[in-house]
Amino acid sequence: MVKRDDVLKIAKLAMLYIEEEEIESWIFDMNKLIGFADTIKSVEDDELEDFDDISNIVNAFHEDEVVKSLDRELVLKSRDGGEDGYFIIKRERNNRGYL
Amino acid sequence: MKRLSNIKHLNNLLKTKQISCTELTKRYLTEIEKENKTLNAYVRITQDAALLAAKRVDEKIAKGEELMPLEGIPMTLKDNISTKNIETTCCSKMLEEYIPVYDATVWEILQNQNAVLLGKTNMDEFAMGSTNETSIFGGALNPHDTTRVAGGSSGGVASAVAGNIAVYGLGSDTGGSIRQPASFCGLVGLKPTYGAVSRYGLIACASSFDQIGPITSSVEDAAIVYDAISLYDKKDATSCGKRCNAQSTLENSIKGMKVGILNEYFEGVSDDVKEAVDKALNAFEKLGVQIVKINIPEMEYTLPVYYILACAEISSNMGRYDGICYGYTTPKYNDTTDMIFKTRSEGFGREVKRRILFGTYVLSAERYDSYYKKAWKLRGSIIKSFKAAFADCDVILAPTVPDTAYETNFTLSDLADNYLSNICTALANLTGLPAVSMPCGFDQKGLPIGIQIIGDKFEDAKILNAAYQYEKLTHDTIYKSKEIGVML
Amino acid sequence: MSWELVAGFETHIELSTKTKIFCQCSTEFGAEPNTLCCPVCLGLPGTLPKLNRNVVYYAIKAGLATNCHIRNITKMDRKNYVYPDLPKAYQISQHDKPLCERGHIILSSGKKINIGRIHIEEDAGKLVHQRGDTYIDNNRGGVPLIEIVSEPDIRSADEAVEYLEQLRLIMKYIGVSDVKMQEGSLRNDVNVSVRKTGEDKFGTRVEIKNMNSMNFIAKAMEYEFSRQVDILKSGGTIEQETRRYNSDLNITESMRDKEDAEDYRYFRDPDLVTISTTHEEIEELKNELPELPQKKLNRFTGEYGLPSADAELLVKYKKISEYFEKACYESKSYKTTANYILGSIFRRLSTDADKEDANISISPEYLSELVVLTEAKKINSNIARNTLEKMLDTGKPASELLSKEDMEGIDESTLRDICEKAVKNNQRAVESYLEGKEKALGAVIGYIMKETRGKADAELAGKIVKELLNN
Repeated sequence: MVKRDDVLKIAKLAMLYIEEEEIESWIFDMNKLIGFADTIKSVEDDELEDFDDISNIVNAFHEDEVVKSLDRELVLKSRDGGEDGYFIIKRERNNRGYL
Repeated sequence: MKRLSNIKHLNNLLKTKQISCTELTKRYLTEIEKENKTLNAYVRITQDAALLAAKRVDEKIAKGEELMPLEGIPMTLKDNISTKNIETTCCSKMLEEYIPVYDATVWEILQNQNAVLLGKTNMDEFAMGSTNETSIFGGALNPHDTTRVAGGSSGGVASAVAGNIAVYGLGSDTGGSIRQPASFCGLVGLKPTYGAVSRYGLIACASSFDQIGPITSSVEDAAIVYDAISLYDKKDATSCGKRCNAQSTLENSIKGMKVGILNEYFEGVSDDVKEAVDKALNAFEKLGVQIVKINIPEMEYTLPVYYILACAEISSNMGRYDGICYGYTTPKYNDTTDMIFKTRSEGFGREVKRRILFGTYVLSAERYDSYYKKAWKLRGSIIKSFKAAFADCDVILAPTVPDTAYETNFTLSDLADNYLSNICTALANLTGLPAVSMPCGFDQKGLPIGIQIIGDKFEDAKILNAAYQYEKLTHDTIYKSKEIGVML
Repeated sequence: MSWELVAGFETHIELSTKTKIFCQCSTEFGAEPNTLCCPVCLGLPGTLPKLNRNVVYYAIKAGLATNCHIRNITKMDRKNYVYPDLPKAYQISQHDKPLCERGHIILSSGKKINIGRIHIEEDAGKLVHQRGDTYIDNNRGGVPLIEIVSEPDIRSADEAVEYLEQLRLIMKYIGVSDVKMQEGSLRNDVNVSVRKTGEDKFGTRVEIKNMNSMNFIAKAMEYEFSRQVDILKSGGTIEQETRRYNSDLNITESMRDKEDAEDYRYFRDPDLVTISTTHEEIEELKNELPELPQKKLNRFTGEYGLPSADAELLVKYKKISEYFEKACYESKSYKTTANYILGSIFRRLSTDADKEDANISISPEYLSELVVLTEAKKINSNIARNTLEKMLDTGKPASELLSKEDMEGIDESTLRDICEKAVKNNQRAVESYLEGKEKALGAVIGYIMKETRGKADAELAGKIVKELLNN
């Protein structure tokens, strides 16, 4: 089960803000779902085999041949053409510093 | 009047020049204007694109050229299927005004057949929900009773087809989102085998569960659309390339077919639904099938496993919505991080956030092993069990939904109950198996009830065959056409 | 009490495939921003990745060339985190089943540096910060990378540089990357910790990023070593963190708070399928590998007897080494050939890039011819060198540039006669020499050279003259 701190931590990972007044309802919802999910706890780990994936397809590759890229105009279309050919985030302050 | 295919009927009308495609399209557009105010099935009407396609079809007819099966047929796409230059919003604030610069593969395929796209239809936000009410455009209503929901998440498609303002539509199904609305609206809804239909261009919900499929007013129509869209797509690594011709085997007799029944499926269904499904079983027996009882040992784990894994994938797929390159951006922010947090908190609705949070939880370092990893392995076991079950039967029969269409603003009191309504449908997504829902009767309020036929992997043709034979036998008792929209 | 440096590297290498790892956009360097993007590498809603076949092959080759074990069955995973240069908010990488594992590189000292793993992943886009705004160019997003993680076996900056140079050279040789640090196709992060010499336990390690040259890497390691030792000496503890190297001040600076330990929520990417490589396919790729630099170096110093400095220089540029071997094929005169290449020819290939391209105006056969003439004493070293310059200028072979007369060497008895004559005619110089002035011999030699029109072997002449005078 989760408490207040857990919910806030999960929200931070998910890049979501949770307002103070919402926290209780989120704790409730999460615990409801976790309780629901906990049903699987009764299955023993050693009873279970490894499972790869649902496709059963192997080696789906694309050939190493260049295909023309999207026109820059279309790339930046959703952002009104960007600025000087770049996507731009205005006024970003970032204490990671590099790059 | 028994007509088993609206698509074929229209194809014939166009071929024999009893109506021009443009005229037909205009009729649909007129009816949409009338009915959509009530039904709220469409969130966007693409009149120009529709008429342009209609014109091309009419030119072909004038030249005496042969028409392809879906050529000129007025249809719709759920609003999570990417349409180039046409807004595709997933009915979310996050993608309001988002205009894709590429087409989904299924839409490319249909455009090659000059499909007449009438518009994009309503859905639960990002395909998460079972009532269509999480849409920012409001819910889509059920033509059988407009005080009730059309279902979700492909509610708009079902509403449009049942309301006769689209001949067919493509929806998407992650845990039942094609089949449940089809069931609520008295229609046929097919979720193909995972990988049969390309997912390229389908705005992802849960990647290893999602499939695109048709919602139609008859089994044959579903087969026609399925045959057209189930092509190998090299852009989708999970695309199988199994092209089976479902139409060609519809008329096969199903005498001797073994039909499996899962006892657990009948837990929690309403009396009306149970009665209707029993009646359907009788009908199948009349067709000469043999009913067998089958058992899936892990049945009680299927829904928790589905939610753990689907929400995990959802939480990852939803990460890209940050307001930077497309979609909604919050108007005021202090720095990039604040911008991203605010954009997501403002752009997503409650249900979407709920699944993202739960998905993040089950993937987080401390819980990965006991939730995600375990659920993943359990998925493998469940798939194996179903494979074993299909050694004893050809298809599995089950109700589609435990109930009939809910009233609008009906809040399923318990969150878990809400999710439990997927109990009959999520299995097919969990295992990647094909499943078709079709009507099997009505409840005491006159609302449609759906029955589901599930097949082994790649047996899409087989389940459609079984559905078709059942439909032929019971047609007049299971379909009730609403007297609205375009009367064909 | 002495302290020991312990270091391991995380090296990212951009593979030189034509297209990106999950889409078919070009990977060319230096294009205008956002002109090499498509819906897939932009991570637009609804798009799906598909793996580039060559990325798998190149990565396997990298693994084979570093003695790794290659995994027959593997998969791709999602590494979830949010950053503006990552369009999907996850990087498709490999977590628990890397393509290659347990390899090694052997340094010149014989010491083994173990490689823990090599896996494939996609690169992120580029961010440019200006005036508080962030500009994003997604051209680099989706470029294929291999990440090579070494064990913490490195004990000095020198070992580090040698390890990285070897890695670099290997990747160049097998043709999977152009490994140019200045273009970002080779990036290194180092994990540094210290401990008292002789201790078994590892100290707390600190990650250092942003070192754009081998020189900076060495400097950063040395600084970090001192910094950590100072802290420990004064009784403090090392904080596990990420630091960046500041090349202006030659220091490392703290980058992130401890708080920001990321939870990447790795899980198998459901959009991609299993990657399966058979033993036969791996063998085939192994057979496609060229002779690796280390082996070639051993041959050059062993079989050919070249001094290691010369051999290293020749091996450093694959095409040069191939040119060299072709030129030696007939003559078997390894030292002479090497000298000509490392001298006159290298002077004409001024940059590293020039040496990599090895556009030499004369064929190795022409060089061989010149060497044969020199070794047969048909021409002396002076004439040979001049001729070589003329050959490089004109592209013509020695046989065309030298007259028949030039190529007639001077036999020893004729030379003897001339030497006797020289001694007789240069008495003053001879006397000076016999008095102890070594340099005076030069005048005698000069006379001999004039008499023979420069054809005499100066060295041999000097020997003969000394012989005569000692009698």
